[in-house]
Amino acid sequence: MKKIKDRSAIPFHIIKSVLLILLSVLCVLPFIVIISGSLTSNMTILKEGFSLFPRNTTLEAYRTIFRSPEGIIQAYRMNFYYTFMGTAFGLLVITLTAYVISRKDFKYRNHVAFLIYFTTIFGGGMIPWFLMYANVLGLRGSTLAIWFPALMSPFLVILMRTFITGSVPDAVVESATLDGAGHWIIFWRIVLPVLGPGLATVGLFQALGYWNDWYRSSMFSTSSETWSLQFYLYDMVNSTMAMRQMAQNVSINTADLPTQSVKLAMAVVATGPVLLFYPFVQRYFVSGITIGAVKG
Amino acid sequence: MTVSSERLRRAAGRPEPLNKKGFVLLCAFVALVLILFLPVFHWIRLTDTEALFSAMKLKASAAGKLGDSWSIFTFLSFVQDSKQGILGLWSFVLLLIACASAFFLAAAPFAFLTRGGAAEGRGMLRVYSLCQKGLFFSFVTAAGTLGLTIFANSHYGVSGFACGWCVWTVIVISPAAYLLSKRMERQERELRREHGFITEFRRNWILFLFLVPCFVFFLINNYLPMIGVYFAFTQFNFRDHLFASPFVGFKNFEFLLRSEILHLTRNTILYNIVFIVVGNVLQILFAVLISHVTRTRLRKISQTMIFMPYFVSYVILRVLVFNMFEYEVGLINNFVTSIGMNRIDFYNTPGYWPWLITLFYLWKNIGYGMVVYLATITGISTEYYEAAQIDGANIYQQIRFITVPLLKPTFIILLLYALGSIMKGQFELFYQLVGNNGTLFETTDIFDTYVYRITTTQPLSMGMGTASGLFQSLFGFIVILTTNFIIKRRNPEYALF
Repeated sequence: MKKIKDRSAIPFHIIKSVLLILLSVLCVLPFIVIISGSLTSNMTILKEGFSLFPRNTTLEAYRTIFRSPEGIIQAYRMNFYYTFMGTAFGLLVITLTAYVISRKDFKYRNHVAFLIYFTTIFGGGMIPWFLMYANVLGLRGSTLAIWFPALMSPFLVILMRTFITGSVPDAVVESATLDGAGHWIIFWRIVLPVLGPGLATVGLFQALGYWNDWYRSSMFSTSSETWSLQFYLYDMVNSTMAMRQMAQNVSINTADLPTQSVKLAMAVVATGPVLLFYPFVQRYFVSGITIGAVKG
Repeated sequence: MTVSSERLRRAAGRPEPLNKKGFVLLCAFVALVLILFLPVFHWIRLTDTEALFSAMKLKASAAGKLGDSWSIFTFLSFVQDSKQGILGLWSFVLLLIACASAFFLAAAPFAFLTRGGAAEGRGMLRVYSLCQKGLFFSFVTAAGTLGLTIFANSHYGVSGFACGWCVWTVIVISPAAYLLSKRMERQERELRREHGFITEFRRNWILFLFLVPCFVFFLINNYLPMIGVYFAFTQFNFRDHLFASPFVGFKNFEFLLRSEILHLTRNTILYNIVFIVVGNVLQILFAVLISHVTRTRLRKISQTMIFMPYFVSYVILRVLVFNMFEYEVGLINNFVTSIGMNRIDFYNTPGYWPWLITLFYLWKNIGYGMVVYLATITGISTEYYEAAQIDGANIYQQIRFITVPLLKPTFIILLLYALGSIMKGQFELFYQLVGNNGTLFETTDIFDTYVYRITTTQPLSMGMGTASGLFQSLFGFIVILTTNFIIKRRNPEYALF
């Protein structure tokens, strides 16, 4: 690559290295705090507070979680269910829609695209949206209300359209049409087979969104059976936080609350899959963001 | 032959109707319908008021103030004064449709006079299409008014509501004018070699089939809830039927204007401005820095690390922030006490939170923006830099005069998107960091957290919540339209739509 001939560039390269190392460390540090906290015994945390490196390393917290794992296993199961349903159905409808608005011979493609885009610049707000699902459709407490509302998003539809126009040249579609192929055949036999990277990117965005969702669980769940993993964690953290706030004023026995290290272990368990897959799928997100930002 | 060349000559110039008499007739119809929409014409009349008002359980004093005929635009004030919430949603929707109809009917002559569509070779087609939309909606308004009177009569068991003569006129005229416009449109289409909806549907019905799930989704998720902004004008409660809460006009907005709206708006906008400015500066800075890392492995590793926070959920962020800033066992307070200072009570001091929220916004989002800018930088041709090096430019000059100017388009696009959502908050970020901790609201409450709190904990204030949501939406909408208008004038390439 470029050689450093310029002496005046030396301070630049030093500053560059320092800043980049600093930011990288800052970005990763919190994860280390969480992991090391989850490996520290609870008494140590209460006595000495959190620290960067585990002291008195113990797997006690993880053992506590998996001693009565019903709650977390249920939450995990629901999370997989939501992620699977949302991603599978979402991908299907997003791809279908994106195919339609990518077809230049479709007269109303701009109208449809505008109807989709319009939802990003005006909306009825949270309460009408909530009442629509909870009261008009009566979906409160059902799992449908948790995965359906995030099935499509304008950003992902536009992103998918860009992928389709990029990977299927018009000439290919035209020659297929001349050979007598209809839209059904073109979509399933020509477009879908070459759409691998697009499907992967959009699907991963969907899956990430579903995996990290707590919001719809908090709005539509009526029992802890249907909680997503993040909301399960949220509830656990929240109840302890509230109790702690009170404990500052009134004396409450905090011993019965989920201990600090158990909470951290829960956090590790809840994020584990994401961080495990992250290095391998990162490039799909990078390509999605790049394409979406430049063309979208 | 001569006729068709004559037609084509006309088609190339200013749009002119092919059938002059028909066009004049259509104009007359459209004008008539538009005039009938004027509030001086009464669409709903009350007959047999005594029986009706007693069926509504109105006192004589209240009933005395009510008139006996109403236009479609003022009927909501009747709903409000007589406290008949059950009629509210229906008349609200009618009002919206009437406005849409009037808008399209007024836009049609405007399009004709300014020759809209002629430049795209569509001639009069746009005018006809606007006319048809307007006439369709005016028919729906009239039919809806008729429906409203029937519904109200059956609800109260008294035949006290009746349609004015304008309703009947519109019901008759609109379809007639619609058919006329349709016929003239067909002639125009033949000339322009365009096909209509039915031909398109027959040809591409499978594409319409593909769109069905999309339509269902956006209808349920976005468009039907838009009608729900009606609740902003009601004193919402679940005791009355969902759509029968009392209609109170702009009371909710008046209350909000006195209490919450100013500081919510201020917080939301200020946070967003800080996020945009600081975020973009840091993202550009680190994108430039990382692009100068020559060893690919190192660059990959450091990008992976910086991008990582984007992938964890905000609940994890909550755990993290709690662990760092908690009073007794938090990392910071642990450190503070170890160097012999007093503990800091973060969770009870509002002053710290703007800083913390910005800090964690940056922590989570620097990676994302960095990736965007980095993509632009990698797209810059190396020839520029080589030429600059030959001319003796040092690395700072290269960044200043090559990289940064070429990042400008990306920056503008990102800025426009950010401006478009300036009234939207980073709801998850704020809610997970602050939660329901009331002591911090003064500096941390934004529209989204306020509305969320109402939705989940105060069902009786839902009308208020909808009102602030509607204010937020409208304000944001106006900001987007204005920005887009300005951008379109100065540099149409960047316009959002």
